[in-house]
Amino acid sequence: MNCVSDYAHSNEYNSFRSSVPLKTIIVDPDSSKGWKIYDSGPRSISTPLIFLPPVSGTADVYFKQLLSLGAKGYRVISAEHPVYWSVREWCEGFRRLIDYMGFYKVHIFGASLGGFLAQKFAEHVSSSRRVISLFLCNTFIDTSVFSYSESASLFWMLPSVVLKKMVMRNFNTSDVDSHIVDSIDFMVEKLDSLSQQDLASRLTINCVHSRVNPEKLSYVRMVTIMDVFDECALSTPVREKIYDCYKNAKLAHLKSGGNFPYLSRSDEVNLFLQIHLRTFEGTYLSASDNKDCSLS
Amino acid sequence: MASRRKLLLKIIILGDSGVGKTALMNQYVNKKFSNQYKATIGADFLTKEVMVDNRIVTLQIWDTAGQERFQSLGVAFYRGADGCILVFDTTSMNSFASLDAWRDEFLIQSSPKNTENFPFVVLGNKIDLENRAVSTKRAQKWCQTKNNIPYFETSAKEAVNVEQAFETIAKSAIALEKEEIYNDFPGDIILDRDNKPNNGAACNC
Repeated sequence: MNCVSDYAHSNEYNSFRSSVPLKTIIVDPDSSKGWKIYDSGPRSISTPLIFLPPVSGTADVYFKQLLSLGAKGYRVISAEHPVYWSVREWCEGFRRLIDYMGFYKVHIFGASLGGFLAQKFAEHVSSSRRVISLFLCNTFIDTSVFSYSESASLFWMLPSVVLKKMVMRNFNTSDVDSHIVDSIDFMVEKLDSLSQQDLASRLTINCVHSRVNPEKLSYVRMVTIMDVFDECALSTPVREKIYDCYKNAKLAHLKSGGNFPYLSRSDEVNLFLQIHLRTFEGTYLSASDNKDCSLS
Repeated sequence: MASRRKLLLKIIILGDSGVGKTALMNQYVNKKFSNQYKATIGADFLTKEVMVDNRIVTLQIWDTAGQERFQSLGVAFYRGADGCILVFDTTSMNSFASLDAWRDEFLIQSSPKNTENFPFVVLGNKIDLENRAVSTKRAQKWCQTKNNIPYFETSAKEAVNVEQAFETIAKSAIALEKEEIYNDFPGDIILDRDNKPNNGAACNC
């Protein structure tokens, strides 16, 4: 792959790639299917924070969180799923993954599709209450907002180029600052690296009609909803719908940041993440080995 | 982009430990007060939607730990702040004497574009208590020397002046924002600002 974006050859990214190995974990009978995993921070923690990428992203889009929070003593894992064609299949796959890794309960961070899947998973395992907390970034509760449900059944046969265009339509590059431009460049590269099957299956899950049942998520101990006040792919009504669902959620607004604030505003996002996780510090559900829970 | 952008204002509360920063925030946002003191660790925030000048504004209010060992929060915490609330305890001279240091700390860390007119308010909290140590006059005098910072005497416990104080900081933060937008137009005659054209969207660079 030809890396050209500033992020891809930044020292930070190189340091991430040279210190955190990419692992593939196979949890499906089909051995060509594997979860791609970056695992950072203390191994002694078995209630980690797991990051789920958006449609266009790969596991390394969270390198800024894994580096910074990992160094602060949090166990942070980024998990990119193999080709799954339905939410149910995804949820089963993710459950097998965390079973395999030895985690009974987890915190989940999800952006766009990742956020939707995080909520669906929390719903899927509501009887065993396996999701401790959710940090949802620029995400939604109902796929019908994309109004593609009719055509979603055909995504599997569309050429890669068409699928990429569908995603890139949402990348607004006009009138944004250099950090946002860099974040988009990086994400476009990640999008380019995805196979037709990867992309088609993700878009199918993203667009086939499905919605979160918030009642089943009432057991989740803490929800933080992060969104940006500038332009992003989701409209204001969609964002407000998610606030309505989680009345007790903490609202972590950013003035700006575009579609990928975890890249373009990483230090602010990391601060919000620490505040989110700090609620659990010192308890058996903590994602960090910190005894002293200062934010410095 | 035809519609007016939703406005988010980041307000930071600073002051010595125990002056009632968390209590003020909780009184304003949740209308609750607890006599039990619990030190804030690092920082926390709450959001509240308010109507200011016929406009819906989201206030993101950041409460900080007054204790020294938690003070190094880094620039992310201060970045993009639109207003700062300095709090002291009217029964503690030391907490009043620290105001200078807190104000300086804020200006250094957040390095606002407009140091002169940056929106501050000063709150003398705990006026419900009897053992007063800092007089109104003295506090007002300090505020005057700092470019006329608005001063309120508050009680988080009895909800005195809390609403008014937050409203004031929100209003002056909006006023400053407007000023910055106007400064964007070509042909602007105010020349004593930064040379670089700035608007709200680019303030995080």
